[in-house]
Amino acid sequence: MSQADITLEVAIGTLKLQNPILLASGTCGYVHEMVGAVEVEQLGGVIPKTVTLHPRKGNPPPRTVETPCGLLNSIGLDNDGIDHFIEHHLPALRGLRTNVIVNVAGKSVAEFAELCRRLDGQTGVAAIELNLSCPNVSGGIDYAIDPACTREVVSACRGSTRLPLIAKLTPNVTDPRPIAVAAVEAGADAISLINTVLGLAVDWRRRKPRLGAGLGGLSGPAIKPIALRCVWQVARAVDCPVIGIGGIRTIDDVMEFLVAGARAVQIGTANFFDPTVGPRLVGQLRGALESIGARTVAEVVGTLRL
Amino acid sequence: MANWLAERCRVLWNRPVAERTWRMGLDSSAVALRIRPGQFFMVRLDREDPLLGRPYALYQVVEWPSATLGKALEFVYLVVGRQTALLTELRPGDELDIWGPLGNGFDVLPDSQELWLVAGGIGQTPFLALLQEITGARAYGLSPDRARPRWPIGSVRMFYGARSARYLACLGDFKSTGVRLSLATDDGSVGYAGPVTEPVAAELARVDASEVLVVGCGPEPMLRRLADVCRERGARCFLSLETPMACGYGACFSCVVSVRTGDGHDYRRVCVDGPVFDAEWLVEGGSGKAGQ
Repeated sequence: MSQADITLEVAIGTLKLQNPILLASGTCGYVHEMVGAVEVEQLGGVIPKTVTLHPRKGNPPPRTVETPCGLLNSIGLDNDGIDHFIEHHLPALRGLRTNVIVNVAGKSVAEFAELCRRLDGQTGVAAIELNLSCPNVSGGIDYAIDPACTREVVSACRGSTRLPLIAKLTPNVTDPRPIAVAAVEAGADAISLINTVLGLAVDWRRRKPRLGAGLGGLSGPAIKPIALRCVWQVARAVDCPVIGIGGIRTIDDVMEFLVAGARAVQIGTANFFDPTVGPRLVGQLRGALESIGARTVAEVVGTLRL
Repeated sequence: MANWLAERCRVLWNRPVAERTWRMGLDSSAVALRIRPGQFFMVRLDREDPLLGRPYALYQVVEWPSATLGKALEFVYLVVGRQTALLTELRPGDELDIWGPLGNGFDVLPDSQELWLVAGGIGQTPFLALLQEITGARAYGLSPDRARPRWPIGSVRMFYGARSARYLACLGDFKSTGVRLSLATDDGSVGYAGPVTEPVAAELARVDASEVLVVGCGPEPMLRRLADVCRERGARCFLSLETPMACGYGACFSCVVSVRTGDGHDYRRVCVDGPVFDAEWLVEGGSGKAGQ
């Protein structure tokens, strides 16, 4: 067997990806910021920054603080709203020659459904990822801490679009499995997890949080074991593809997530400190599969033995 | 489309030049060819802690025959935290990762009769390359036509303040451009005794301030005072800012400052909309609280 015999294609419901490497929402801007420096057409897909129904200024700075092997952030879904996104960002995203998965967040079930309705007729949108779990939106509700709320949102979105729906879940729960099951029963085509882990950084001399908004979400290599645990738990609990996110920066990390049960992965914080990481991991994936005699990604998914 | 590239660079030199202040030269093929005065690049060591890159302003690009393309990219850094402490341990031949050029740079400065550069501490670093272009000593970037000097060196002044004489770095480089240089130190060990903004205020009172463009780079309280001084005297003021940054290229939305808009304020990314801003556009303090 040679590397030429290995196929990297994976399917997330009806969505076909040329490989399982995606860039996570909130870590690649609107992608035009990296085009030219990063070969995004090599990727399985990109997920631009969360879009909300109305423009949001976002949270006061400082918005990020580095912690050991991690990054704590509270950006606050700074974005110009769905109208601006469709008018200004989507035309550029359509030209990328990779899948564009649009991540949305609503403040209510109705807003989520409206966002899906607005995107449903748009060409160039491969799928919708529902940000059910951003920890930084003051006054909003983290839908994905409760199975019933998750069911209600996903169900409303399912009724508003025929596009593949990916429910992005939070690790800030006792057990992610009932929430994932609720999302799938309500019509989600895939589950992505984890979003950031709720955290706090303290400036003890000033007796103040280091972030302008107080609490934040932790990401980066520090959270990888939590993410692997959640992916493994959820992949065994649901009968749909799971997309792993959390601290991925090397090909070993990618393989760990596949083995734990992820059919695809999203690169997040690593885009910040290693901007060309995504295409590099795509290039290394065949070699990693070949080293264990696998011809497809699917052969490896969920093969973890306990 | 973005105009930056990522590359791994070999360290060519790394040596102290003043108290807690070092200069490092890198064998850069991509960034050195493209970068313009006032732009910056990110530098990262290949380790998980510290995890992120840090932004550094272009100091200068110098001819260096032993480098891959014969050019070395130089930056000057103040040792303030763990990453900068680790940088001091690098020796020639060691490698690190950089990406750039990033930010708008000094090309956004409007024309003026006079140009006054005001540096506080390590905020001096962006000004050398600008002065080199003004004198015609160097041309930066891929489009040499943009390097045409807009100010004769006789109409340019530089005010450079630091906490003491021991912290004043690379004075010879600045003097060699021929710029009229005024120094200030907090402890009075050299030049004016006190904040660098005070000689600027005094000098602005002696001239027609409306003909002067003031450009500041330094600590936030100094920049705030500089903007106030310029507003009081009627001089235009641009500031080069530094804010906590995760990516440097516009992806993370961390590095925002608050700017005035028609209906109050909004946030703009320092890394792509700056780092050089018209001071009149900035909401004081940058947090947005003043504008709400």
